[in-house]
Amino acid sequence: MRRLCLALLCVVAISGFAASARAGGIAFVVNSNGASISVIDMATKKEVRRIPSLREPHHLILSPDGKSLLVGDTAGNQIMFIDPNTGEVQKRLPVADPYQLQFSPDAKFLVVNGLARNQVDVYDAASMKLLKRFPVVATPSHLAYSPDSSTVFVSLQDSDRLAAFDLRMMTEKWTVPVGKTPAGVLWLNGRVLVADMGTDYVAVVDPADGKVVDRIVTGKGVHQLFLSPDRKVLWVNNRAGGTTVSVDPATLKVIRSYAIPGGPDDIDFAPGGKLWITRRWAESVAVLDPVTGTFETIAVGRSPHGLYLNAHAPSPVVVSSR
Amino acid sequence: MGDPFDLGAGWLEEHVLVPALYWLGLMNWEDVSYGWALFALYGVAQVLLTFTVCLPLERWRPVERWPDSHAVWVDVLYTLLSRIGVLPFVTYVLFYRAQVAVSGWMADQGWVPPTLEGLFPALLGQQVLVFILYAIILDFADYWRHWLAHRFRWWWALHSLHHAQRQMTFWSDDRNHILDDLIAFVWFGVIALLIGVPPLQFPLLVLVLRFLESLSHANVRLSFGWLGERLLISPRFHRAHHGVLAAGQRSCNYGAVLPWWDMLFRTADFSREYVRTGDPSGEEALATGTWVQQQMAGLRRLVRSFGRRRVRHGT
Repeated sequence: MRRLCLALLCVVAISGFAASARAGGIAFVVNSNGASISVIDMATKKEVRRIPSLREPHHLILSPDGKSLLVGDTAGNQIMFIDPNTGEVQKRLPVADPYQLQFSPDAKFLVVNGLARNQVDVYDAASMKLLKRFPVVATPSHLAYSPDSSTVFVSLQDSDRLAAFDLRMMTEKWTVPVGKTPAGVLWLNGRVLVADMGTDYVAVVDPADGKVVDRIVTGKGVHQLFLSPDRKVLWVNNRAGGTTVSVDPATLKVIRSYAIPGGPDDIDFAPGGKLWITRRWAESVAVLDPVTGTFETIAVGRSPHGLYLNAHAPSPVVVSSR
Repeated sequence: MGDPFDLGAGWLEEHVLVPALYWLGLMNWEDVSYGWALFALYGVAQVLLTFTVCLPLERWRPVERWPDSHAVWVDVLYTLLSRIGVLPFVTYVLFYRAQVAVSGWMADQGWVPPTLEGLFPALLGQQVLVFILYAIILDFADYWRHWLAHRFRWWWALHSLHHAQRQMTFWSDDRNHILDDLIAFVWFGVIALLIGVPPLQFPLLVLVLRFLESLSHANVRLSFGWLGERLLISPRFHRAHHGVLAAGQRSCNYGAVLPWWDMLFRTADFSREYVRTGDPSGEEALATGTWVQQQMAGLRRLVRSFGRRRVRHGT
């Protein structure tokens, strides 16, 4: 009888291990008002656990070596380093007001926007040593690099301006008006695209001097911009309009608009073509099928903002809390 | 099941506030408006909870009965303004802007506010415990703010508006001079910068704390017993602070939620039974005037406090 019990336990243990080892992927969703990061099993689309952050995390970015996911906690004044395969917190680094953060394409720099503190910090990506702090007129929000990593473009939300900083000389190149309340920034085909949240258009900016050369009307309250992994579709989230819009990156013509209520914000792309979109005011992520135009939702924490999909991670995850 | 406050604020944001901000060309206030929506919804819940519990208590065992409770209606207005209406918006906006400016300057000096979790890493992830610890720290800070409000003549001149009410009810908690409120915001704003107070992650706990503060002002014969009154502030305990003999620079029972600080610093008085409230030294407008008349009377008293050597206090 005892052996039978042991055998049964082994079977249960083995089947449990098999379940835990299956590949399905992990999604990380940053709950800004909930001070946590939701870990979601991409296969079942269920939240499996929450990682506590300190105060108010917003954006996240994968390190160039793929070993760490960096989550900026603004009010907590720290960056959390999380293992993107397990969700384990690797370390917490004190950094002043990390709102939006991105590594340069050449992996040399990490630029961190301090939205509340009106500063743009340039770190050495390897050592995390602060190389330069650029004080700015107001609320540095989002950022994008030129492909050669020589310039970083930062939207200054409350000043209606876009700033360009030379990362080789560590100087400010220009700061110019680009439209009301600029938020998301993206480099595309030699131009800088800026989502002007106080308007219904994306401003197309000449990176040489910041001059607005074109405007793409996508919907009310344009907030964020993302290029699909195959670079064939530009996706735009319209905060006030509650829509996600696909745009042809070659012609900059709108292809299709999808209703995503609840304040669509950040996007990441799942294998198979579905889009995961955080809904800031609805405590959920929308998983949009761009073919059918339908979406399903996954419940997460309060005010979900940044998200990252690691489709190659095993799921579900079993990790420690810190 | 999501957080009803957060989802409610989200609905307001999506269907009312953001469309209005977009139309007005003020989308840069989008984040602030979401914060205000949350603030206002918590306020509505606080008012409803307090009303639902305290009103039956006041009807059941009132300390005093008044033939005319006209003066209470001004306190109702104070409560609605303070917890739901204009004041949260103004203070949230002003506070937000001031905090951004101050924290930006502090960051330039290399200051990153310490946090309890930073000092004690074992607290990481223990969010409810962290909140309770912060609530205790803030209650301690509020004890000293309140004590100082009674000690400084000019500050008492403003704070006396809170004490002027002779018909004290659960509505009286928010009866404050607008400058007194502003000082409190600055006081807690500085403390937030120093110790890294968490944002409103636990609205239900905040709601309970605000409820206890309102309850302590209620016109009800309610004691929590010998032990209970030494753990939480009761209406009986706080009424002694509002008594006519306690109004002024030397009072007792300054605590807001916890009586521990009064006990520790020997300002607690558990002996007084349900005393009359009010401040006989203040002009009548402070007690029975309209909201505007009370605010103006507070200003006049403030100006006089700088001109005289002493402001006369309770007899």
